[in-house]
Amino acid sequence: MKRMPRVLIVDDEPDVLLLLRIELEAEGYETLLAADGETAMRRIAEERPDVVLLDVMMPVVDGWGVLRRLSDTGSTTRVIVLSAKANDSDVVRALELGAHEYVTKPFDAAALLLTVAHVLSSTPADLEAGRLRRLHHLSPAS
Amino acid sequence: MPAYRQDLAREAKVVGLRDFSTPSLEAVERRRWQLWMVAFVVMAALSAGLVLMASSGATSVGLFKHLPVRVGLVLLTMAFALYVLEKEVHLRRLTRLLLDERVLTAALSNRLKELAALVTVGKAVNSVLNITQVLDIILSSALELLGADGGSIMLLDSPDELRAVCVRGNSHAEGARLPVGEGIAGYVAQQREPLLIAGPASKERFKNLVAQDPPVESALSVPLLNRDDLMGVLNVHAGADRSFTEYDLRALGLFAEHGAVSIANARLFEAERAHVDELLELDRMKSEFIATVSHELRTPLTSIIGCVQTLQRRQLEADVRDDFLMTIERQGQRLLRLIEEVLDVQHSASAPMLETKTVEVADAMAHVARAQQALGREVAVRVSGALAVSADPEALERVLINLVDNAFVHGGSPVELEAAAEDDGRMVRVSVLDHGPGIPVSDMARVFDRFSRGATVTAPGMGLGLYLVKTLVERQGGHVNVTERLGGGAAFHVVLPASRARIEVPR
Repeated sequence: MKRMPRVLIVDDEPDVLLLLRIELEAEGYETLLAADGETAMRRIAEERPDVVLLDVMMPVVDGWGVLRRLSDTGSTTRVIVLSAKANDSDVVRALELGAHEYVTKPFDAAALLLTVAHVLSSTPADLEAGRLRRLHHLSPAS
Repeated sequence: MPAYRQDLAREAKVVGLRDFSTPSLEAVERRRWQLWMVAFVVMAALSAGLVLMASSGATSVGLFKHLPVRVGLVLLTMAFALYVLEKEVHLRRLTRLLLDERVLTAALSNRLKELAALVTVGKAVNSVLNITQVLDIILSSALELLGADGGSIMLLDSPDELRAVCVRGNSHAEGARLPVGEGIAGYVAQQREPLLIAGPASKERFKNLVAQDPPVESALSVPLLNRDDLMGVLNVHAGADRSFTEYDLRALGLFAEHGAVSIANARLFEAERAHVDELLELDRMKSEFIATVSHELRTPLTSIIGCVQTLQRRQLEADVRDDFLMTIERQGQRLLRLIEEVLDVQHSASAPMLETKTVEVADAMAHVARAQQALGREVAVRVSGALAVSADPEALERVLINLVDNAFVHGGSPVELEAAAEDDGRMVRVSVLDHGPGIPVSDMARVFDRFSRGATVTAPGMGLGLYLVKTLVERQGGHVNVTERLGGGAAFHVVLPASRARIEVPR
């Protein structure tokens, strides 16, 4: 039997962790939780989630730190950044660090679930093309 | 053509010097020498003829026998002498005219040099706005024009003290201070009149005169005045080989006029630039604040909107539903607190005067500690002696609550409150100490700024709490600062005036 995709939720707000777990499990996903970047890195290495929902502003190691370490280790884990930082510059920074999608808080639960499903079903090449297209759209100079 | 030029041309024509528009003095001298040589030869020949004529008497031979020839010869001699004398008169007049011209040319070229130097300074006034560069240009142009050995520009640092900011030829005088009224520059600053000193300066006239090495034989000192505002003094000096005159003093005076204007402009520019920098910084902080506010408001809204959506979309168990409702309320309260924080700052900036009265420090601290204990936070209180401050009780409580709250959020438990007398009992210092990571030195200067948040801070907040503390304390006649705590952590200090009603200094 094919196992359900595994989603790692990283956020320092317990409310958000709880909420996302309920939504994702209702859709049949398996969920893992982390409240800081350090834990997130460990769980990514040990439990190999299929997709990571990553907050940015966190204690110890923040979301930027997690993205940087993932790209340093050549990880192919798919990452959706979920942040209350809504500036274009933050979106560009996340995409440049290798995130595949950027969703701003507050998020629409139904739309977020669609994004998760989309990221999980796309081929790596499609995801990369989508990331570069969005990056180009936000900063035509680069 | 000027009249003296026409005279020159006419005289030159008379003496046969027409090769050049203006003959040189040397050419005139040569012509005079030629004239007298010719005169000498001719007169010698004529004299010889006359002698011959006289000595031969009746036995005279040839031509000299005839009376008309003799008379003619005498007349010719006289005519030639007249001719030579006339030429000599013209040559002398020409010499005088040429000498005059030479003097005029020299004066003109001096004036040109002076003008060129003034133009340089004028350019500096318009283009260079860095005060050090402006001073440098003024001083070096003045020294070059006057052929001086050295000099300095001293600026008025405080109303009664001059400081040497730009010095040439006397390197150890750089930065020297001189009270107004002492020494030559101090005397000039006091009198506000240009001064020429020929010969060694008298010790009687100038108080506390400092001897220079090599000794100064001649000096000029002029005040730098901009619209009757004394900015400083410009000094130049020379050794034994140069002696300044009233003319030099006038030239330096012109310099000083330009110099004072350019110094005033440069100062104005620097003040404006500082102001602009300040505004830019405030603007940057405001942008940062808006980003922070947006982030801080979005965080509770994320929970609220998320919970509501899930409640609507999913069939949830009863206890989860209750949890969600509680979350919504809690996050709603958090949103409200954030808004109140912003309003508090707005209010403290425009609130009417605070009402200060005598407040027992121990009471105020105990009150805050009790309130924190109700929240499950442990606050240790230490007071040395019975201390009272003159403060607004509500504002003081607000200040202490903000600081203690800040200590818990960034430093963690336990937090200590400490009070001690300071400044011989005139002030009272209340300190809030935590055991957190402390504040990076780079952030210390701006922790109390509006909208400022530490670079490493991840805890929620808009960066207004400490700004509010600072504003409130300053409005009560006190001040705040932050230091590193021995053994780790941060120490925030509030210093308030001690109450005059009762001052006790612990021994």
